[in-house]
Amino acid sequence: MAVINLKNRQIECKLVFYGPGRSGKTTNLEFIHKKFQKQVLGKMISIDTEGDRTLFFDFLPIGLGKIKGCDVKVQLYTVPGQVKYKATRQLVLKGVDGVVFVADSLAVRREKNMVSLKDLHENLMKMGLNIRKIPLVLQYNKRDLETKGLPVMPLEKMEHELNRQLKVPSFPASAVTGEGVGNTLTAALKLTLQSLQKEFKWAH
Amino acid sequence: MNLGEKIKKYFQEAELYASHGLLAEALEKYQAVEGLVRSSGKIRNRDGILNKLAVKIKETSQKLNKLDRIQPMREVNEDAQSLIKEMYTFDDPEAKGSAVLGGAVALAKFGQYDKAIEELNRLLEYDKLRLEAAKNILWCWVQQNYGEYAVSLYQKWRKQKLFPPDETEVIQAYFNELMDGAGVEHELEELECQQTIEPDSEVEDEDILDISAVKFVLPGGPRKGESIELEISFQSGKYIQMIIPRREKELTDSIHVGALIKNMIFYSPVAIFYGEGFVSSNNAIDAGPKKGDFSLEIKIIKIVS
Repeated sequence: MAVINLKNRQIECKLVFYGPGRSGKTTNLEFIHKKFQKQVLGKMISIDTEGDRTLFFDFLPIGLGKIKGCDVKVQLYTVPGQVKYKATRQLVLKGVDGVVFVADSLAVRREKNMVSLKDLHENLMKMGLNIRKIPLVLQYNKRDLETKGLPVMPLEKMEHELNRQLKVPSFPASAVTGEGVGNTLTAALKLTLQSLQKEFKWAH
Repeated sequence: MNLGEKIKKYFQEAELYASHGLLAEALEKYQAVEGLVRSSGKIRNRDGILNKLAVKIKETSQKLNKLDRIQPMREVNEDAQSLIKEMYTFDDPEAKGSAVLGGAVALAKFGQYDKAIEELNRLLEYDKLRLEAAKNILWCWVQQNYGEYAVSLYQKWRKQKLFPPDETEVIQAYFNELMDGAGVEHELEELECQQTIEPDSEVEDEDILDISAVKFVLPGGPRKGESIELEISFQSGKYIQMIIPRREKELTDSIHVGALIKNMIFYSPVAIFYGEGFVSSNNAIDAGPKKGDFSLEIKIIKIVS
């Protein structure tokens, strides 16, 4: 849940990068950390990783400066994607204001995307949140792997399978090159702030 | 696509999956390549290729098994624990508005049980937080499969009359449910009238070597966190006794009866082994040549290695 201090005109909200294991959530945060240095308020922290797998979560605080007279700070988190870390994902999701779902474009990861999206839906529901109402953006990551000869799902297929009912903004991306990362983040922040405005009327 | 091209394509895919950490997918592809190679007798250097594939399959399987064995809730370093506490110290309804309790509960939920118990123990001193802190302490012990220890701890609280009657009812109901959920047999009625319950030892008396000294980290008190080594003055099977001189009273204040001491090192003339102990008594000696000194007794409940 966002912390909104109208007296001091400060907003602090939480955006969580969700998705199956190895879909590129941490890579997204790493790119944001590197590319948006002016906005980054502190170092990126990865709590407990095994090799390049996130076991707990990554954290990156960013500042968006003044928006409609309010100082906006955003905490970016990633969850561990592997199925067995469900409990940790529930903890990290606590107090979430917006979600970026990072789907893996590789054809072999098709089912993992669907399982993870279902998991997101269930975890949000446990917290009394609705996946159709929470600010949510989909990212179809690893588009670059097609050039390396790996079977990648067409965007239309991914859109049909993951976004047919949700109808939320979606972006093709390659987190390793940074393509699409900025667009995804901008859209997610926009939706999140709009939702907070609707709820708390912080911008007059 | 002919067989050779197919094998090459599948192998490249397997290598790419492996390089992206998609080990299950890589393994599947390596196995598919192996199947293709086996199905044809016309491939040049067929045995050599199959040997290389066997190595790839073995290595990938080993990596996958290693990942499966990782405990999702394991102790992280102190900085990370502070960060978890800080980040999750938001107004948690379960924590009933207390930020400190919220942080301790967050540590517990992230599996940082020792640190969480340490923080929660401190909160037992505060009337408003005691009940929630106690519930979470019991939860932490049960999560670590120390159900029996949780019962002994709960009995200690009852004997000390830590809770007023209305809270006793609440915590007993909670604890009953917790133990039922964990499948631990228990009897919580009239505990305060029963003899002190000590957690059962996993080791038989005859399996324990003669111990000459022990080393462990003080679990609380003014010298908390300090590593100490004590000589054994008497041993009866799994019970070991140590004499602590009166000038070291601070040390006995750091070791309370009923405390569980993890990561103990036991030194015997023939081996060093590790385990856990339960502080079964800690008394001042009131007669004889050691009068005024303290006698500390620890029951060895587990030998780890």
